[in-house]
Amino acid sequence: MKRHGANREQIIELLEHEGGVTEQSVRKVSGETGVPEADIWGAGMFYSLINQPGKRVRVCDGLTCQMMGAEQLAEDLKESGKEVERVICLGQCDRAPASLDETMNLVTYGKTTHISPENSDLPMNLGGAEDMAWSALAKAREMGAEAVIEELKAAGLQGRGGAGFPAHFKWSSVRQQVDQERYVVCNADESEPGTFKDREVLLRRPHLILEGLAIAAHVVHAKDIFIYIRGEFTNEIASLKKAVAEAEAMLGDVTVHIAKGHGAYICGEETALLESLEGKRGMPRLKPPYPTEQGFRNKPTLMHNVETIACVPSILRRGGTWFQEQGRTEAGSKLYCISGHVNNPGVYEAPLGITLDELVELAGGYDGNPNSFSPGGASSGFLPMKYRDLPLDYKSLADAGSMLGSAGVVVLNDTIDMAQAVAWQLEFFERESCGQCAPCRIGTQYLRRQVHKYLETGTVDSLKMTSDVSWEMEEGSICGLGMVAFKPLQTAQEHFPEAFQKRSEKQ
Amino acid sequence: MNEVIGTGTFEIELNGKTVKARVGETVVEVARREGIDIPTLCHDPRLDPAGACRVCLVEVEGQRRMQPGCAWRVNEGMKVTTESPRIQRHREVLYGLYQADHQLDDAGLPVPSANENQLRSLCEKTDVVSLEPVEAPRRGRDHDVNPYIQFNPDLCILCARCTRYCDEVEAVSAITLAWRGGETTISTAGERGLLDTSCELCGGCIDTCPTGALIEKKAPPLVQLQAKPVKTTRSTCNFCGVGCQLDLHEQGGKVVKITSPPVGETLNDGNLCVKGRFAYDFINHEDRITEPLVRGEDGELHPTTWEHALQVATQGLLKVREEHGADALGFISSSRCTGEENYLMQKLSRAAFGTNNIHQCAAT
Repeated sequence: MKRHGANREQIIELLEHEGGVTEQSVRKVSGETGVPEADIWGAGMFYSLINQPGKRVRVCDGLTCQMMGAEQLAEDLKESGKEVERVICLGQCDRAPASLDETMNLVTYGKTTHISPENSDLPMNLGGAEDMAWSALAKAREMGAEAVIEELKAAGLQGRGGAGFPAHFKWSSVRQQVDQERYVVCNADESEPGTFKDREVLLRRPHLILEGLAIAAHVVHAKDIFIYIRGEFTNEIASLKKAVAEAEAMLGDVTVHIAKGHGAYICGEETALLESLEGKRGMPRLKPPYPTEQGFRNKPTLMHNVETIACVPSILRRGGTWFQEQGRTEAGSKLYCISGHVNNPGVYEAPLGITLDELVELAGGYDGNPNSFSPGGASSGFLPMKYRDLPLDYKSLADAGSMLGSAGVVVLNDTIDMAQAVAWQLEFFERESCGQCAPCRIGTQYLRRQVHKYLETGTVDSLKMTSDVSWEMEEGSICGLGMVAFKPLQTAQEHFPEAFQKRSEKQ
Repeated sequence: MNEVIGTGTFEIELNGKTVKARVGETVVEVARREGIDIPTLCHDPRLDPAGACRVCLVEVEGQRRMQPGCAWRVNEGMKVTTESPRIQRHREVLYGLYQADHQLDDAGLPVPSANENQLRSLCEKTDVVSLEPVEAPRRGRDHDVNPYIQFNPDLCILCARCTRYCDEVEAVSAITLAWRGGETTISTAGERGLLDTSCELCGGCIDTCPTGALIEKKAPPLVQLQAKPVKTTRSTCNFCGVGCQLDLHEQGGKVVKITSPPVGETLNDGNLCVKGRFAYDFINHEDRITEPLVRGEDGELHPTTWEHALQVATQGLLKVREEHGADALGFISSSRCTGEENYLMQKLSRAAFGTNNIHQCAAT
């Protein structure tokens, strides 16, 4: 069967337009596109924003929102007669707890967000004004492709999506492919719990993203740019659309396509994102081949996270070496998201390698007595406060058995039961596993059930097989979700053993 | 999967032994040729490799992670290990996870099925870790009244062989993976019964299912199959001229099930259509005509010899030609005829009776 095609790529959007997945909408979309009904049903049912049609309030169950009383909020909303659905992290941890109302408008109940003050010496400079002239693109055209890649290399830019892979390798790899049909894809599916940095870039500096993408398209000879942005980001989508309209003249013969996600965390994984863009279930592909070799439509594809690509214009404007020097232990500045038990949660641009204590100082200090922190999203697990002086960079955190990931730092004070915090993270992974491979699909269910059992009964025996299962999830899973989904439990058991001792029946 | 890109051969190292391999082959293909058993569940040589069940993970030198042998293509000098403490531990825990998500018998093993349950076979020979069940909320389609195909979600391992077969081999796409995570199941558009989908009831999904989650509704259950010996006879399907091979499963003098010979063995390559696989009730049906019959003066059909029956037919046809001319006759041959039989039929029509009114029922 034909696996690709313009018609198939539209089906998820068409289903949304029809109000979600129903027998009728699937039949209609099948009639319009020629894609078999079962394929449309199967793809549509994967995405939680469309698989259960109807209007309801969506309350975030991300770690920070849970800590800030999302459970109670959901109860209150239910009592007021509303239909409520618990959904994965909405990327509003700085304003937790957060929800989307029946018409998908954001409603938050917490503090207001903070960002680093305007400073023209910051590469990203969220508070600064946009460069509407796109001077970096002009410079890139002047320099030539190879020189641009050299500059990225000198900058030491690492992928900001979580993997920390050197960016310039991807650019070179795509350029080396024989196939001349190439694509640039921007991953704006920010949904790692605790993370909301791309949100601020999308809202405040969309031109920085578009300019970076245009430079990438110029270097790898792509004519089409796809931005995959999570569907819950209604304000951010509007911001991006406005910027695309403003940028028409600068983009020239390059077309920017905005594709919406429909509620699946796994689509932040690059190959799942590509599957989703192609109108399929967001199930990660086997790697290799990597997207630079066979990506979107099986063509060479350069993929970057929002923040990574938004670093590119400043690197070209002020030079790779300058960017490199903005870091402390590793290259460049980094957008750190900080939420949880701190006074001024928000997005702070700081040298890569800042410590937790320094970051929290930027964020107005600790709220209460800090007990642990999660440095880079749910996948990074929990670290104790003895690491408060550890550089928050890719290598140091990996060495500590955690990861910088998306730099979504969440601080937990001593009012939080660590076993409960673990349960929240495991619930998230269980819900968001794509279901393709057994280690992740069954492993995430198993771990969540056993931790719940421990919380209910207090018996340590419930957890005796979890390390074997965790080992297999890491070794046997297809993609990065399964490989790290056990981390919250494993790190918490390692660093907070007292939280997993025998307890009396549910307190 | 079977396509060989190029014809070059080279050597690789498999469990320390140097073996020949061809460009485009996968680790599993080379290993099986060499008599080395790499377990698989989601692998079917007719399908694109999915690497989803993770049962076939092997160690490839230079790769940090274990890689799926069903999908990993060999190249010159590659060193592959298919048995090691790491691979063994992987299997012990992975099978344990599958067991935690599967219907088990009293011995704690995946239940046997009327076809086979390859997961059970794998678990039987492995020291599987024991885990508490996860009770995944997988939905079946109990309301599906189709007469042939039964889906039992408690035996499903989500290897997606059935859905990929339906798409990649049959190009029908009647079934699909639906939902996500632990809720993932095999479904249809609108969760309708198969009769209300594009399904052609070929039963290929049953054939490719490794665990017996998909079985023939008509076939006897396991207990009955085990009660008396079952004899298998290879035969040729006579529903059309293609010549698909069938294995007739016979118990107590009756055909109780029909399956295709294994993939790669006969020209139908493991495939059958709805007729070949399911239309065997006629064999023992009371209405089946088992001898020539001719209608007598009394208006009733009477048994006779082939010679007499053909004579009566010939006389009848000649009488029509005499009274109304040759073009008053028309000949239609059955779709069950072979090319040679069809040739003879048109010869009969044109040369013996002198009319061009000849047709073959499968031609339209």
